[in-house]
Amino acid sequence: MVTTMETPFGSDQATTPLGVTVRPRPQRLKETNSPPPESVIAADRLTIRYGTFIAVHDVSLEIPSRQVTAIIGPSGCGKSTLLRAMNRMNDFVPSASVDGKLLYRGLDIYGPECDPVELRLRIGMVFQKPNPFPKSIYKNVAWGAAINGYRGNMDELVERSLRQAALWNEVKDKLQQSAYALSGGQQQRLCIARAIALEPEVLLMDEPCSALDPIATSRIEDLIDELKSRYTVVLVTHNMQQAARVSDWTAFMYLGELIEYDDTNVIFTRPNEQRTQDYITGRFG
Amino acid sequence: MTAQFVRLLDELQRRSLRMASLVEDIVQEVCEAAFDADERLARRAIGRDKEVDAEEVEIEAETVRLMALYQPVGSDLRFLCTVLKVNNDLERVADCAVNIAERAMHLDKSGLGRQSDAVHQMASIVRRMLRSAIQAYGVQDAQSGQSVFPEDDAVDALYGQIIQSIVADAVRQPDRMAAFLDVLSIAKNLERIADHATNIAEDVVFLKTGEIVRHRGGE
Repeated sequence: MVTTMETPFGSDQATTPLGVTVRPRPQRLKETNSPPPESVIAADRLTIRYGTFIAVHDVSLEIPSRQVTAIIGPSGCGKSTLLRAMNRMNDFVPSASVDGKLLYRGLDIYGPECDPVELRLRIGMVFQKPNPFPKSIYKNVAWGAAINGYRGNMDELVERSLRQAALWNEVKDKLQQSAYALSGGQQQRLCIARAIALEPEVLLMDEPCSALDPIATSRIEDLIDELKSRYTVVLVTHNMQQAARVSDWTAFMYLGELIEYDDTNVIFTRPNEQRTQDYITGRFG
Repeated sequence: MTAQFVRLLDELQRRSLRMASLVEDIVQEVCEAAFDADERLARRAIGRDKEVDAEEVEIEAETVRLMALYQPVGSDLRFLCTVLKVNNDLERVADCAVNIAERAMHLDKSGLGRQSDAVHQMASIVRRMLRSAIQAYGVQDAQSGQSVFPEDDAVDALYGQIIQSIVADAVRQPDRMAAFLDVLSIAKNLERIADHATNIAEDVVFLKTGEIVRHRGGE
């Protein structure tokens, strides 16, 4: 089965630069009628299995550069599996196997020429639960850069990363304290700073606010909005209001399939697919 | 919570439709009051406007409450936006009906005079438009809602004719100016009701499709 879908790329073309079949997308809102964004990550008929179980089925989509793409869907729909495939985190699951293509700037992520360690430097990840190292705040940020041979001014890198993660003002006077002394929301921003310190191009976020209170969640959402001027963000979330608030594009997945992928404004006001409509209005899932 | 939300949406829809039905009745009554010079009917219609005003406030409060508590999206969000807008239009229709009733009570014994046929015709189309718009809203049918649009042009044309006719009469009979202004006001308020019915029909299109079809003439 060929997956036909909306993508943010090209208005009337029959295929994307990667050969993914698309149909003309609905007319865009005037204020978002800007040139088509550049693609950073592209899935082309991607299928991911755990043993015989198909977690992601024949999915094709492209992730636009320096924008926020949200992936939503009920539990078990394959959204985290798809996200984790983008920097090969599924390699740690022995039974996982992949068919189809997943490309990062033309590089086949699952091809023999792709070094997963190198890939993860370019495509960073922030997890559901804040997971700082049992080290100082400073070392949490500096660690990844240090072991990757960073030769610049480490103090500057730490400060820049913490500033970009909107944490600097809160921790600048206690950089040598344990990261565990921070609140949950601060720890999550520290994890974002740690990912940013490696100067990735893409940040994958898997439910980054699910363990946080509403205030900390709001801080992270503001941060995501700021981060998109420098980074491409792919966000998996169960919180549909969050997807609506922070993302430019939204992909809805159900039972491993990509049901609809469109401008977030369209998905949350007048989606084209009944299943999307039913999910966002809470009629199922 | 979804089941509860769906139930509350259903209740809100029923309530909004009850108000629509009340407003339609009032329009019917004031038209009869104007045609038959029935002061009792006119007064009754004016009294019922208070019910509409009270209901409008309660429906608006409930809609805002549901928006705040459930943060709806998609068709639920469009529905609540539509309820708010239709609610406002219905209240304005009732106000127009009150204006007609007040003018009807002032009409002298010559009634609607030479403009009677045109006003009758106008009222007939306006009531049909209002009924069609409310029915389309009730069953959420964008197609039948769109049938209302062309009728608005017919109402506007009749209103233009009535104005011309009144201007001509006023020149000949300046002593009857007050009566002419009453007739003109009735026609003007009928024309406004047609506009509100058109708004409701446009809102039904938005409700079903998400497309905003207002201001078509400007495109």
